[in-house]
Amino acid sequence: MESFRFAEPYALPSWPFVPPPELDGDAKRHPIVIVGGGLSGLTLACDLAVRGIRSVLLDEDDTVGVRGASSRGICYAQKSLEIFERLGIYERIAAKGITWSFGKTFSGEEEVYSFNLKTDSCSVQPPFINLQQFYIEWFLVERILELGLTDLRWKSRLTHIAPREDGATLQVETPAGAYALEAAYVVDATGANSPIRTQLDLPAHASRSTDRWCISDVRFKKPLPIERWTWVDAPFNDGRGVWQHLMGDGVWRMDYQMPEDCDVAEISKPEVAGARLREQLGPDVEFEFVWIGPYGYRDHLLERFRHGRVFFIGDAAHVVSPFGARGGNTGIQDAANLAWKFALVLGGRADATLLDSYDAERRPAAEKNLEVTSRSARFLAPRSKAEHVMRHAVVALAKRHAFARGLVNTGRMSVANDYPSAPHLPEGSRTVQNVALRAAGGATTTLAQLLREGTHGLVLWRAPSAADAEAMSTALAGLPVRLVALGGSSGLAAFEAGEAELAHLDLATPGSLLLVRPDGYRAARLAAPTPAAVAAAVRTAFALN
Amino acid sequence: MPLITEPHIPDPDGFYAAWLQAHEGLSDDASADLNARLVLLLANQCGDQATLLACIAAAREAA
Repeated sequence: MESFRFAEPYALPSWPFVPPPELDGDAKRHPIVIVGGGLSGLTLACDLAVRGIRSVLLDEDDTVGVRGASSRGICYAQKSLEIFERLGIYERIAAKGITWSFGKTFSGEEEVYSFNLKTDSCSVQPPFINLQQFYIEWFLVERILELGLTDLRWKSRLTHIAPREDGATLQVETPAGAYALEAAYVVDATGANSPIRTQLDLPAHASRSTDRWCISDVRFKKPLPIERWTWVDAPFNDGRGVWQHLMGDGVWRMDYQMPEDCDVAEISKPEVAGARLREQLGPDVEFEFVWIGPYGYRDHLLERFRHGRVFFIGDAAHVVSPFGARGGNTGIQDAANLAWKFALVLGGRADATLLDSYDAERRPAAEKNLEVTSRSARFLAPRSKAEHVMRHAVVALAKRHAFARGLVNTGRMSVANDYPSAPHLPEGSRTVQNVALRAAGGATTTLAQLLREGTHGLVLWRAPSAADAEAMSTALAGLPVRLVALGGSSGLAAFEAGEAELAHLDLATPGSLLLVRPDGYRAARLAAPTPAAVAAAVRTAFALN
Repeated sequence: MPLITEPHIPDPDGFYAAWLQAHEGLSDDASADLNARLVLLLANQCGDQATLLACIAAAREAA
């Protein structure tokens, strides 16, 4: 039998536990306590910090990653990458990760479906970058430390929460003893097994799938295109599904669908995983494992993402099946949705009702993601003979006819969800891609860069006149927005945008105006903006006091 | 496009004969596969979501 090697394990960073003042009896009330230092919790802490807002973050261990250096969430979607540009870690992610936009689906030996996500994008960020999750968390922690406003409390485990009308008291266990922590707002980012959700007995409507997979993170030298390849039924995996994706450091992520009744320890043995990979790669390709492990998935969705002063973000609020990368990306976008609202409410600028819009916007997004991913999961793991027959028909027709290719569902990739109409969003909302803008001197910037530092929206105004600009500047003075002209000669800070970018911004017509929120979502679009109407739109979107 | 339940097939007996003939010599599994492919091809001809959903409901009710 062939023997299989493991690469040198990753040396993950660790950070020291520092006894907090509470252990010396020096208790104070903290405006925001985030529980959990995964993708969503760290993104929230970082997004608050770039806005100048302090928070406390509790994490159970003292490092990043879960179950060692498993790759875990690996596909970071455009909206997440745009958020990371605003937070200042995008360059590191792009340098370390693998940029891709093209995907192919196979059945047996034949290609049945392909897609290119690049075609409908005008963002500076690509549709996707693949990178091991621990790197994203690592970059976030280093950025948070650099910003210096977050009290990162490692090796600090929440054991109890006592919510009140005006905050909560948390009991925290540490290597140096237990203490009580007072918070005005608590954000639960503890993940799928949230102890807060359990303790408060909040219904999450969980369901567990019987579908089983085995992940292999592996390094080899076979030249393969940098594309997302999926097999509905791979000949080298007994006719079951396979995923193949390149990540950072030349490591490939291979996901193999296993029989439902498999022995999870057995399928994850190096010799078993190695034999599978040998069949896939052929006899002459050398490879070494980085990590192997089984996983099953489940889903749940909290009925409400806000319970008084406790907010639920990321996996603590919603878990979906992994197809389409809608887990981690949704958590990151939850955090970005909430951060600017906290900043305005805690700063006394906005009415506290603005915080309710978090649930109003992100709960429907999670509900949609649950629907989309459940459909993919059902295609990938047919539950009856009839479902097998139907899938077989789709795949057979897809090989010959274009129409059936759209029915092949190996995951619909994560998108920035639209938001329904609500008191603060009369028109509803959709994402505003991070388009590039050119200044008169030739320097380029982006919307994400214009949104950096502090908490403000953007008022993008196409080719205003000098006379109109003065009245608008006066009307918007003191409001948390930055007024920017796209073209024209108004005397305002002005940039030029390309035709496709202007079309995306809905600013093809001179004189039209777009109000962009601090999280890069569209708040309002005015065809014939008067200063009073724009000021009113800002007051509505930001719930200004 | 509402659900058409009045006669609409120009040559019903001819269609039925062709449908049977397509299944001749097939195993039960291969027949089930053929019918599933046929449903998909017909659905794409129809191309109207509301009609498709009405057809699915009507097919279920007729059992």
